[in-house]
Amino acid sequence: MDNLFNVQSLSFSYGKNKVIDDITFDIKKGIVTTLIGANGCGKSTLFNLMTKNLHADKGKILLADKNIDDIKIKDYAKMAAIVHQYNTAPHDISVKDLVSYGRTPYQSFGIPKNVDEDEEKITKALEITNTLKYKDKPVSQLSGGQKQRVWLAMALAQSTDILFLDEPTTYLDISYQLQILKLVRKLNMDFGISIIMVLHDINQALYYSDEIIAMKKGKIISKGKASDMVNTETIKNVFDVELEVFKAGEKAFMLTI
Amino acid sequence: MISKKRQILSFLLTGILLIILFLTAINTGSLKVTPQELVKGLFIEYNENVATIFDLRFPRIIIAMLGGSAMAISGVLLQAVMKNPLADPGIIGISSGASLFAVIITAFAPSLYFFTPIFSFLGGMLAFALVYSLSWKNGLSPLRIILVGVAVNAMFTGFMNAFNAGTGSTLSGVAGIVNANITMKTWDDVKVLFYYTIVGLFASLFVIKRCDLLSLEDKTARSLGINVTNSRLAISVIAVMLASISTAIIGPISFLGLIVPHIARLLVGSKHRVLIPYNIILGAFTLLFADTIGRTIAPPYEINASIIMSVIGGPFFIFLLRRSKAGYNG
Repeated sequence: MDNLFNVQSLSFSYGKNKVIDDITFDIKKGIVTTLIGANGCGKSTLFNLMTKNLHADKGKILLADKNIDDIKIKDYAKMAAIVHQYNTAPHDISVKDLVSYGRTPYQSFGIPKNVDEDEEKITKALEITNTLKYKDKPVSQLSGGQKQRVWLAMALAQSTDILFLDEPTTYLDISYQLQILKLVRKLNMDFGISIIMVLHDINQALYYSDEIIAMKKGKIISKGKASDMVNTETIKNVFDVELEVFKAGEKAFMLTI
Repeated sequence: MISKKRQILSFLLTGILLIILFLTAINTGSLKVTPQELVKGLFIEYNENVATIFDLRFPRIIIAMLGGSAMAISGVLLQAVMKNPLADPGIIGISSGASLFAVIITAFAPSLYFFTPIFSFLGGMLAFALVYSLSWKNGLSPLRIILVGVAVNAMFTGFMNAFNAGTGSTLSGVAGIVNANITMKTWDDVKVLFYYTIVGLFASLFVIKRCDLLSLEDKTARSLGINVTNSRLAISVIAVMLASISTAIIGPISFLGLIVPHIARLLVGSKHRVLIPYNIILGAFTLLFADTIGRTIAPPYEINASIIMSVIGGPFFIFLLRRSKAGYNG
């Protein structure tokens, strides 16, 4: 399997506080990779570095052998779409208008280069996320779960091969959490989109990911297949808490109580 | 959500009201002409009354309209940049920075008159840079911008008044700017204001999409391929330019850049593709309305448009302050 990202000796500090400490790893193409770790472990910072919101002090991030620092932000937006954890929109914007913002990288000064293609990608994004039926409603009137699907639709309209998600299930009820995670899995399976996300819930991370990258104090302390991570020691290393393994049929889960 | 129909209706009604107001403004004062006389006098044969009105009233009417548009668009752009519905070039000191520089040029280098807007622009940028940098602390808090803005505004206004008083308030050009008096404006003033304003308004059309995208979180805008910092800078420069030009000719007008965009958002929504063109019309209407009211209240005395705007705008600003809890994206 090809590597999508090569991260090489990456370091980042906030002032004197070293948040990312000389880490090197690869992310494979076409799979779901999830970053986990306790609060303050550096996973959000790493996410921001990989999405060009922050700039590394040392080291580099290569996307298909090209340093992402050398990729223009507009071109990067055609390669990788990002759903951030916290989002706001004007109260009167409609779902369709918001999703159409996903076509921004393909426009200059707001003038579309290919109206038909834009229209097609927007409709497709609305269909996949099951938000077509709300397309004329204001985003502000939707529920949390619906809103999150709309933000996802906006990212999909960018029609990229890579999708970043920063804690996409935060603030959502459990049924909506599962809805989003299943949708993410489907995007990977059906469309071959490489997914890189940050998740808080250990079991959801283990269940919906192919690869897990576990971080602690700015270092990667464990990386591998999700199924290999389900054991008391690994989880203790990452989260400093001893959890039992619980078996349900063929599947193993961590008992998070 | 606001329907297309309501948007079109708002444009039509405001357009018609502006035309009616324009005709009323022409006929407000001791001289009066009928529309037929006016058209005839302007285009067909000389008519003394029409010629007088053309020389005395037309410049101030056109200046009021251009200045109103410029201030309204400046407000819309600043609000987009700062994600703050209370941002107004008057309140946060851009206008007073611009007028201080205009005053200095008018007093010391009157031969540079045509370039006054450029110096005003420098003054406006100075004020803007002060407000923006001083209120930055882990992001821009709407309230902090207003507080710092009020202080910067007070400082520049103080300098300007001190200068005016120190010269015995005798330099007519200076006093005119300080008091925002547009009574004695000529066609030369119209020309200066017109050229610079058109450039600014035209430039604002190029940042429509960016203004929309800035209403999202910065990170989200960036993920859509927008260079957020550069966009902010470009939009700010246009906003400061528009406010400064208008200030250089008219003097500082407060609250217009606040009230007009606010009403416009209620009527046509927050999409800048509609909001910016609509503010051009509504801004022109509002300042001309204020000027015409000021001429009608106590003739033969005139109350400056800026005073009318402050009297109406003050309470309106308090109303908005009390209402705004959710901020720009309410």
